[in-house]
Amino acid sequence: MIDSEQHTYIDMIAREARRPVATDRAARERIMTLVRSEPAPHRRSSVWAAIFQPRFSLSPAVSTLLAAGLVGIGVIAGAFAMNRDGHQVGQPRFAAAQRLPVSDTVVKFVFVAPQAEHVSLVGDFNGWDASKTPMVRSEHSGLWTVTLPLPEGRHLYAFVVDGNSWSADPNAPFAPDDGFGHANSVRIVNRGS
Amino acid sequence: MPVSAIADVTLAAGGWVITKDMSDDAADVQRVLAGDVDAYAALVDRYYDRCARFAVRMLGNRDDAEDALQATFLRAYRALDRYQERDRFSAWLYRILVNQCRSIAARRAHRERVFVREEALLLNAPDRSVGWSGEDEEFVQRVLSELDPLLREAFLLKYIEEMSYEEMSALTGVGVSALKMRVKRACDRLRERWERIKHD
Amino acid sequence: MKRSSLRSLPLRAGALLCLAAVPAVAQETDPFNKLDPNNRFSIELMIDSARNAGLPSDALRSLALEGIALKIDGKRIVDRVRREFTLLRTARTTLGPVSDEEVKAAAAVLNSGAKPAQLAAFKTREQGRSDLQAFTIWADLITRGVPSEEASSAISKLWEDGADDAIFYGLWKSVQTDISQGLNPGAALQNRIRETPVRTPQSKGAPPEG
Repeated sequence: MIDSEQHTYIDMIAREARRPVATDRAARERIMTLVRSEPAPHRRSSVWAAIFQPRFSLSPAVSTLLAAGLVGIGVIAGAFAMNRDGHQVGQPRFAAAQRLPVSDTVVKFVFVAPQAEHVSLVGDFNGWDASKTPMVRSEHSGLWTVTLPLPEGRHLYAFVVDGNSWSADPNAPFAPDDGFGHANSVRIVNRGS
Repeated sequence: MPVSAIADVTLAAGGWVITKDMSDDAADVQRVLAGDVDAYAALVDRYYDRCARFAVRMLGNRDDAEDALQATFLRAYRALDRYQERDRFSAWLYRILVNQCRSIAARRAHRERVFVREEALLLNAPDRSVGWSGEDEEFVQRVLSELDPLLREAFLLKYIEEMSYEEMSALTGVGVSALKMRVKRACDRLRERWERIKHD
Repeated sequence: MKRSSLRSLPLRAGALLCLAAVPAVAQETDPFNKLDPNNRFSIELMIDSARNAGLPSDALRSLALEGIALKIDGKRIVDRVRREFTLLRTARTTLGPVSDEEVKAAAAVLNSGAKPAQLAAFKTREQGRSDLQAFTIWADLITRGVPSEEASSAISKLWEDGADDAIFYGLWKSVQTDISQGLNPGAALQNRIRETPVRTPQSKGAPPEG
């Protein structure tokens, strides 16, 4: 799978690009309107031959392929319409100006789970990987904590209990449903907070 | 004269293949030249969608593509008397189309836009395959638009129009080995792009 | 060391267990390898397009990683990432040249159900003022059941009156407590809004940033 990946990518591009584009009748009718107002093309009187003279020699097999590939009808207009933007959204020119300073702030996360054997912190800062940030249970209470440096800004996170149960932070604002059946929690990190 | 009795594909002398469409093309051309303008509509209908696909992929936006298509079919109409029956109509038409796309691209080099489809206008597109959606078109178009125009043209003719190098050469006036080099470089660029995308 | 198999068995079993516990690093390096190639292709292209358009592509990558970690069906991940792309783009269009973090937070507000027009109050920029907390509270309240219109107008009004992070946080804390104790979310918000102290706006006259 990995080896053929490069070929797969070209195939995918080609396959997608081969899909028909949506066209509208109006454009075709405009062409015919223009055509009708043109002077008629000069009439030819030569006899039409059913056998075409090739301009260059091709093997019959290649000819067959050519004809099959080129001369075909039945391109079905796409079912979706297209629109165009008057401008391109979000010019990159100001993205750079908004880059935040690199200094991280150390942030503490706390979760109450007296019955749990293992709790991990997952979030957009560790790829939601439950193996990356295990939490530590304080000896006498059911309190699990972990402290880690986070860059300034908005962070989504959740707690994974005993490897399979995802839980939001009851003491933090919800992020809206992630689309996967979970509501995660939000931590805003301010510089130096 | 359309030979409806023949099979769809037959071998003719000289190694060429005639299909029903080809004879329809020639017949329609003859009708137009004999004064039947409406016969041209049949040719437009037959080739518009396919030409549109090439024009959109080549130019990257609908407006320019429609300009190219309009100019192409108009020019083809005006030049119909110079159409040699020994050419395949589609190849002849494509030669005009490719040239129109080139001149429009040259005129609008500084205003290359990539069209964006509004979600609200998505009609009921049938689910083509799992994980694969019509909206990928926008992204693929973006990637294609980043290719150098000559590389893009060669890539499209080879992979989307699925022409042979000889046919491409006749169409573009460029030698076969130069075209092979362009296609190869287009594929290399696309692969490099993929590597960059993957490794962030 | 050749010993009777019985004696060495526990050690070998233990060693096997250790090996089993160690993740197969070679295969797990990139979680995206777990995706079907078609789905991966779609997601990678969207990430690239987002970057191209000046949108925070990390939000899309993070979403995909979350879906992968949760073993969500690939097509569903693609759909969700696509939705997020649209939300980010709408947020950016509506707010203009704001930071990536603000775009992400605003996208969440839209995701929870607010309308783009309701973000209008946040277009003007003021020095040293971040709307991250306001957006977060806003999205949370709608998620908890406060009607979108009510939450939007309450948050916008507070923002326009100059409320800072502490005020938003305090409002959120009390409303959330009330809701968890059974109060109707809309009513809870209205109650607490009335009590919320708002500082006299000091910086209202300052020119907008950017």
